[in-house]
Amino acid sequence: MKKVNSIFTPWRLLKYLFKKPITIPFTKIFTQKNANYLNQNSIIKLNSRLDSEPREGADNIRGFHTNDWEECIGCGTCADICPTEAIFMAERLELPNEDGKLQQRPTIDYGRCCFCALCVDTCTTDSLKMSKEYIYSNSDPDAFLFMPTDTFEGQKVKEGYVKDEVSDLLDLKRVENPHELPEERKSSFVEIVRGYSKEFARLEAARCVECGVCTSACPVHMHIPQYIKAIWEDDIDGALRQVYETNPLPGVCGRVCTHNCETSCAIAVRGEAIAIRWLKRYIIDSAPDDMYENIILEPVSDVIDAKVAIVGSGPAGLGAAYYLRVMGYKVDVYEELSLAGGVMRYGIPAYRLPDTAIDKDINFIKHIGVNIKTNTRVGRDITMDQLEQDYDAVFLGTGFMKPRGLNIPGADHNRVVGAMEFLPKVREFERGNLSLEDIDVAENVVVIGGGDVAFDVARSATRLQMLKYGKSSVKLTSLENEDSLPATFDEYVEGAEEGVEFFCGNGPQEVVVENGKILGLKLWKCLCIFDEKGGFNPEFDKECEQIIEGEQIFIAIGQAPDYDYIPESIKDKISINRGKIEASIDGQVKDVPWLFVGGDILRGPDLIGGVSDGHRSAKAIDAYLYENAKKQDISDSLKAMREAVKESSPELTIRQGGKK
Amino acid sequence: MRQMKLFLGPQHPGMHGNASVHIYAEGDIIKRSYLLPGMLHRGFEKGMERHTWMNNIGLIPRVCVVEPDINEMAFAMGVEMLANIEVPERAHYLRMVILELARISIHLMSYGGLGGPTGLYTLMYHAHADRNRILNIFEKITGHRVYHMYIVPGGVRKDFPVGIENDIHEFLNDLESRYTEYRDLGIENPTVLARIKDNIMLPESVVWELGVTGVGMRSAVNKPYDLRKVKPYARYSEVEFDVPVYDYSDARNRVDIKLNELVQSIGIIRQCLEKMPTGPVRAKVGNGQSMRWTVPKGQVYSCVESSRGEFGYYIVSDGGTHPYRVGVRGASYPQGLLGIEKYMPGTRIDDAPLWIDTMGVCSPEIDR
Amino acid sequence: MMNSMNNVEFLNELVNSKFNVVKTEIINAEQMSFIVDSRDVHTLLTLLKTSGWKQLSYLSAIDWIKEDEFELVYIVFNWDRPVHIQVRTRIKRDRENASFETIIPIYPGAKYYEREVHEFFGIKFPGNPDFHKQLILENWDDMPPLLKDFDPRAYSDSHFEKRDYPEKHINLNNQESKQEKRQKRNLKSLLLRNGGKK
Repeated sequence: MKKVNSIFTPWRLLKYLFKKPITIPFTKIFTQKNANYLNQNSIIKLNSRLDSEPREGADNIRGFHTNDWEECIGCGTCADICPTEAIFMAERLELPNEDGKLQQRPTIDYGRCCFCALCVDTCTTDSLKMSKEYIYSNSDPDAFLFMPTDTFEGQKVKEGYVKDEVSDLLDLKRVENPHELPEERKSSFVEIVRGYSKEFARLEAARCVECGVCTSACPVHMHIPQYIKAIWEDDIDGALRQVYETNPLPGVCGRVCTHNCETSCAIAVRGEAIAIRWLKRYIIDSAPDDMYENIILEPVSDVIDAKVAIVGSGPAGLGAAYYLRVMGYKVDVYEELSLAGGVMRYGIPAYRLPDTAIDKDINFIKHIGVNIKTNTRVGRDITMDQLEQDYDAVFLGTGFMKPRGLNIPGADHNRVVGAMEFLPKVREFERGNLSLEDIDVAENVVVIGGGDVAFDVARSATRLQMLKYGKSSVKLTSLENEDSLPATFDEYVEGAEEGVEFFCGNGPQEVVVENGKILGLKLWKCLCIFDEKGGFNPEFDKECEQIIEGEQIFIAIGQAPDYDYIPESIKDKISINRGKIEASIDGQVKDVPWLFVGGDILRGPDLIGGVSDGHRSAKAIDAYLYENAKKQDISDSLKAMREAVKESSPELTIRQGGKK
Repeated sequence: MRQMKLFLGPQHPGMHGNASVHIYAEGDIIKRSYLLPGMLHRGFEKGMERHTWMNNIGLIPRVCVVEPDINEMAFAMGVEMLANIEVPERAHYLRMVILELARISIHLMSYGGLGGPTGLYTLMYHAHADRNRILNIFEKITGHRVYHMYIVPGGVRKDFPVGIENDIHEFLNDLESRYTEYRDLGIENPTVLARIKDNIMLPESVVWELGVTGVGMRSAVNKPYDLRKVKPYARYSEVEFDVPVYDYSDARNRVDIKLNELVQSIGIIRQCLEKMPTGPVRAKVGNGQSMRWTVPKGQVYSCVESSRGEFGYYIVSDGGTHPYRVGVRGASYPQGLLGIEKYMPGTRIDDAPLWIDTMGVCSPEIDR
Repeated sequence: MMNSMNNVEFLNELVNSKFNVVKTEIINAEQMSFIVDSRDVHTLLTLLKTSGWKQLSYLSAIDWIKEDEFELVYIVFNWDRPVHIQVRTRIKRDRENASFETIIPIYPGAKYYEREVHEFFGIKFPGNPDFHKQLILENWDDMPPLLKDFDPRAYSDSHFEKRDYPEKHINLNNQESKQEKRQKRNLKSLLLRNGGKK
């Protein structure tokens, strides 16, 4: 490799004498301030410098953050992922308290921030972005603590680094939960959703960002992120304990809850919500019976000498019963029908909620010592006065079980059937207590109503028709349009898959009867449902009339309460407003202090809402009775359990109107 | 003769990074010397155990300031090996472009760094001005100039922005046209040559004894011992390039290898841009959201060819969301610690910075 | 490389015929690991070195605190047969007396690696003249920091002043903090999982 240097080598270098020097002009200065200073004050006015201006960062430079507070939901995922712990969530209670949002926004310490943009990549809403601003100086160290808004230092700035599909760190796609196929499920009452396997449940659980936005949207404030994490870590035992602290009916709620949690889920802002309901169901389905022994620390007994009667064994009644029992009271539940569970047993069809699931939940409630007296109707088999005498407090959770009628011509026909007449029969058929012949279902039926119950009726009728005639023909009509149906979207989709025909946005005007037989239902186009004041006052377009054929009409436009069992002496003291009994937040009736109410008759129909009412009332009943009752000495763990029940009793959610 | 103790660094133009060389000299000649690291210890290996697999990308490039991309690459490769991830084809090429740009950038810087110990600062200014243009390109691609956090487990973080190829080509052409100028200014310059020719030798036996890799090794053993050739990662097997070697390792030859490698890197980048396939740029590493990504149990060692030699990550996973242990093998660990202790004595004091520079000692990777 | 799989087979043959290897893992065609008894490490490394694995790439340790063991890792490399070999062995996790014979006679480059391992794990390397000398951690006053039971947060909390953030960004609007309430509740639910409602 030896190279002999020529003696001419130095001459070669002479060319550099005449070469234009390389100059990289320095006209782009860091900030506008610098540029101005240079333009005004430089002694040598170089042309190249006179037009100096601030240097702009590249298009996706990771500069200072901007955060759109309107979009931001305060989930805190940015703070969790930050590798340098530069972000913390500052509480801002002046922000509106909304479902799916927390009243906090990220604050960033730029003394720690490493500008890695992981926070941007993981942002659940896309509100957090980075700008092209990258210069900031201050002599006060505390001035580097920013709360990014959509401007930087009060000025609109250009967008720098933003997340794209490639850099996104969240998993926005839900893990599929296998469903029975429409053609197959149509002809039986087999449960549609099969439930997650362990592998799938853990995959789904891994999507959760643990923000806890869902918790406050849930009427019972379940520890949702925590039990999802437990599933992810494959700790069913721990998950079960966390579930039972706030919800004694998890198997039922894992199937038919209205899942406000999923509606408010942070992942749902951009993608598909975590399947919180199905994950809860997974916990219950995969928990063996002996694991239930671990839920409460030690068996409870009547340690407080006070008795509480619960009327109605629906979600509210059982909720109250469970928590009262855990606090040490003697609890008797009175149920009119032969099986406990109320609307869960007799309203919701088996393809959504099979008996086995209800049994599992109720058996545990019985197991801890709640006494359920079935086939006992208060007002018939035992009077309210008797209850008042025998018990120290009474909780009413009798629900809305009476069908609400429709006041149109022809509605008095005997083949115009209410949902709550029909659905219990369907359940009894499914249990084998009724035969197919005992249930009247025509070959062509029309269902009026757009709620979940209407869909239950329509889809149950489909199944019965399939069994009876081998084909189905169900039409569903509602005042609301398809996109604003009160029923959950899943119901609409699954109903359509099963062949239900929709005539949404129409109001029923007349049941067309000829020779004593129903021919169909006359509909007018519905223009609007509510008047300017927000009251229910539908307007119809008479021109737009149609008659849909059907030999049988089902009415599912809501249910009404049945207060026949309450004696007049008590009825005088309570006020009933639109079917609901007026009471305090905890369900205590003002002028009848030993009487507590909850569930449908306090706040309207909502299964999980009923459980929350039960829990709140249990706490209130305890407060009402505890002082004056005789007590036994109890162990520390029972004391802890009592405290836990009181502490975990939920506040009202925003949806329930819980702004205090 | 009286022995005198001198401290080279931590603040010294010839010192690379915040470390100090303690020198015991008699007259001009170093009699005893050792490196004192520890001024820059940031506890990265501990820190990485406490961050999730994805969060670690905020930490990893910071191991070496001037050449962060090799860290990202070695870590990403290790995780991919553990989790058995197939990296998309396009991502391989994007990675190679980034790695080679980084190689050019650090070779320029290190060549410019020759200006420190030799007093020829012109060289440094020129080299830094050109490096600045690479940083501009990096800024456009990755969003940052120095800590790119671009190469992530599974691929790269984002695709190239539209039109960046033109910027890269323009820069490469300019650099190529200035290549002879760089040579004339540096290693062909008699004043510099006088300092580096036949000075600071690295015999082959020492290479094997210390375990020196990279430029030092290739300048001594006359074999193309370059991980990109010997054990090709990414898609280095698909591009053509030469590995410059020498059988005589003095400071001049080592610098010459760096300059030749710079030319090879230019060629590699051009081939990459030409062969660049289309398609996805990132594969999924784990399931769910990034903080719950888990990596299967295992222990792997992944290494890449940095500008100073074999740069490796030893990654241990216990199947969890965090690495169980991450060990970093700094490329200049052998020559930086044992080399200075054993083979720096005998050189003259004024050659000590030159020794450190041409041996490629980089203290941040010794002091993780 | 073309004959890379042959390299793995060659190594398998070479090592397994002479040593009682606890476990051989082939990670890919360019990397494999031998887990051996601690007595065999030096002879195995000698064998590998004479077979061409002349370069010590890395030497470190792993603290398996649950199993109460230290794992020592030696990675060697052969440039002509490009396979990285991890030689791993486990020794008792004895905080005061854990020690392992040095490999300086085989790989002189191990000197500083061993010093570092001693500093960060507390493993002694008899035979290494300087292993006990302080290298990186000046004035260190706690347990070796890469041990799993060393908590860096607790260390920095006790050694450095904590900087309080100004609360100027928090606006509670005269209400009580909801964030604190949530945090308390979450903490409680975590306790629930561990079994006790305590």
